[in-house]
This record gives sequence, C-alpha cells and structure tokens, in this order.
Amino acid sequence: MTPRRRAALALATTSLAAFGLSACATADEPADTTDETTAPETSTSDGTTTDSGSSAYADGTYSADGSYTSPGGEETITVTVTLADGVIEDVEVENPETTNPNSLRYQGEFIDGIAAEVVGVPLDDVSVDRVGGSSLTSGGFEDALETIRDEAAA
Amino acid sequence: MPARLRLDAIGTRWSIDTQEPLGDEVVAAIRDRIDAYDRAWSRFRPDAAIAPLARAAGEVRMPQESAELATLYRQLHDVTDGAVTPLVGASLERLGYRADGVADTGLAPEAPPAWDDVLRWEGTTIRTTAPLVLDVGAAGKGQLVDLVGDVLDAHGIHDRVVDASGDLRHAGAGDQGRPTRVALEDPRALGHAIGVVEVEGEAFCASAGNRRRWAGRHHILDGRTGAPTDEVIGTWVVAERAMVADAIATALSFAPVGLLARHWSFEHARMYAGGQVEATGRFAAGLHVRKVAA
Repeated sequence: MTPRRRAALALATTSLAAFGLSACATADEPADTTDETTAPETSTSDGTTTDSGSSAYADGTYSADGSYTSPGGEETITVTVTLADGVIEDVEVENPETTNPNSLRYQGEFIDGIAAEVVGVPLDDVSVDRVGGSSLTSGGFEDALETIRDEAAA
Repeated sequence: MPARLRLDAIGTRWSIDTQEPLGDEVVAAIRDRIDAYDRAWSRFRPDAAIAPLARAAGEVRMPQESAELATLYRQLHDVTDGAVTPLVGASLERLGYRADGVADTGLAPEAPPAWDDVLRWEGTTIRTTAPLVLDVGAAGKGQLVDLVGDVLDAHGIHDRVVDASGDLRHAGAGDQGRPTRVALEDPRALGHAIGVVEVEGEAFCASAGNRRRWAGRHHILDGRTGAPTDEVIGTWVVAERAMVADAIATALSFAPVGLLARHWSFEHARMYAGGQVEATGRFAAGLHVRKVAA
C-alpha cells in the first residue's frame, strides 16, 4: 500500500511542486506529463492529469533524489514525501552524502524550513509558475518533487 | 503545447519556455550565445577575454554587449557611490569565492580599488593600470537573459519566458498565453515565499545572499568596503529589461530606492535583516504572510 520507490533522476527544473504558493504542477507543464515515458505505471498519457483533482495521485510514501550545484561542488538531497488523499502529509529532506562542509549550514536551514510550509498543501494546488530568488538547494528539491509527482500519478 | 528547454550554463540552471518545442538550430544558437558570453566575461575561466586583466595591466577588446554593460555599470557605480562596481571581483576572491569553489580564507574584507584609479571601460574596450579581477555579476546574468531573448526573436520565437533560475524575462504571450507568476522566495527560509508577482512583457530578477554562501559569508559585497552586505537580505525587481532588473536587484542591497528611481524605472520588494519588507507597485499587492507550522 505504501510503495517506496527510489529514483535517481535526470535534473529538471520545475516550479516548486508542493507548496501552496508554488507548483506548476500538471497544468503548467503538459509537455512534461504527457511525454512521460520513464514511469510506465503513470497511465495518464492523454494528459487527463491536467484537469483531475488531488485523486490523481496514489497515496503512499515516495522518495527521490535531487541534486544541485553549489560553489563547493555537486550536492545531493533526498526528499521523502508521504501522500494521503492526494495531499502531502509529511515531507522529509535529508542530504545523505554531503561532503562539502560549506554546505552544511546552508542545507540545515533548508531542511528546517520545508516541513512547516508543506504540510497539508494539495499537490495540485497550482498557483505560480516559477520561483524568484530561488536558491541552489531549491533546485534539487524541485527535481526530487517532480519525480515523486510523476511516480505518484495514478 | 508549451515546451521547456533546460540548460546548465554559467553556473546556473536555465529554463527556456516556449509555446512549441524549439528546433535544433535555435537550441544550438542559444547554446552558442551563452557560451560566447561565458568565454568573454567569466572570471572563472582562464581563457576568458577578460582573464588577461587579472594577470597584468593592459587592454582587452570585448564583444558588442560590452558597451551597454559599461554604461550601466558606470551609472550604477556613480549613483551608489561605488557600492556597485565591477572591481569587486578581487574582494570576492579574497573572501574565498573562487573558480574552484569556495573556501574560508580567514582574510578580512578589503575594499576594491577606486574605478577612476585603475579602470577605463568605454564601449568594447577595457583598459587597466593594475591587475584587476573584473566581475560583472551584478548585471551580467540579466544581460544574458536579454541576449538569449534576442536569439529567440531572431528565430521568430516571440512568445516565451527565458528563466535563468529566477532571473527571467517574459515576452509576447509567454509560453502559456498569459503572464507568468513568480513566487518571491523567502531568503530566511528556503522553500517559502513571501509573495507572488505576475510578470508580462518584462523582466524579473532577484538577489539574495542565500544563493552563494560559505563560511558565514555570501557573494553580495559592498564596493565601498569589500565586505558582504548585511542590512538587506533579499531584493526582487521588475523592470523592462533583465539587465536592468538584475542590476537594480543588486543595487537595492546598498542604495536608497529614491536614488535608483531617479535613473531607472522599476518596481521592487526588499527585505531587511530583521524581516521587514518594503514593496512598491504590484509587489505591495502581491505580498502574503507565509504559512506557519501547525
């Protein structure tokens, strides 16, 4: 019932997918969703995810990695999202393999900040297309969320 | 069907959003444009056109885009009393922001030399009287966003959004036939936003110290002292051109709004270290209080 999948992924900037203030989820990136070929269980190739509600996503816990380039080198974060009734119940962000000490404080701030905003926000709550002032870390977070969204699409 | 071209270039992620997928020829032209800019201006490339100036006093010829960059920089420099200057590069390196990554040098900040003492930058010619690390980071990324837009125009692609990780320009009907909505990321809490603005037929740029941070330092330095700015922690600007929006976003870290508004037309939001936000125009209308944890 709780598929736990892991996907290392090609980088892909999307808008923040899960924040109420964010997310160009399906409606904003039809090219991404309709061209989906990496997740065959995503049976929505006709683009119906665009107008379906939160039920477009299968409940469960999903994990994906995202990476970004910091001045100190490539960094990876792992984002784990728990979905219930198509809504994000919980988000965890961790950086398992950080070797760049300069990033630690930076990522610590990022990790502290995420959960508070995200809890209870519908995945399909589309309200912006992109983020300004966006941090390097957010890019990795967005990447991971995009993969999770693809995987969770039912 | 909207389509997105993604590129990694000049140390940032690019998204070029159009109404139809771009052909190979346009994509190649975009890559060439970005690469040419990098080869001219990057202070991280030993083969860059400006690189010889870091080794010795001398003269270099720069590409055509140099002229408007020179004019903008000089004006910014004068209006901000030297707080914004392309000479900040050496101060950045001194604090540890270098081509091979960042490091904690332990060195105290040092103000860059005075412009008129060491630099003549007119049109496409840069002449120096001392070894200089030039850094056009305050406006260069924005200018490149504009230049990539020019490439798209030349290929008949008039409806698009060129987005270099948050420094962006919307043109024509955009990629979706409507304005693009941009979240203003909270520099205190990444992944949060303090508001939303709609951008149509113009540019949006942001500046925040959280993007490049190391050893308790960040990359937005005050040209008067060579030290990182600490009063302002985030700025967001809408202006007609990305080059100007980018430059104003940097200048707002140092300069009173009224001074800048005398010379350039823009709307803005600015957050101070204490969390207070000032905003004009649509930024004031688009601010919202961020959610609080349950």
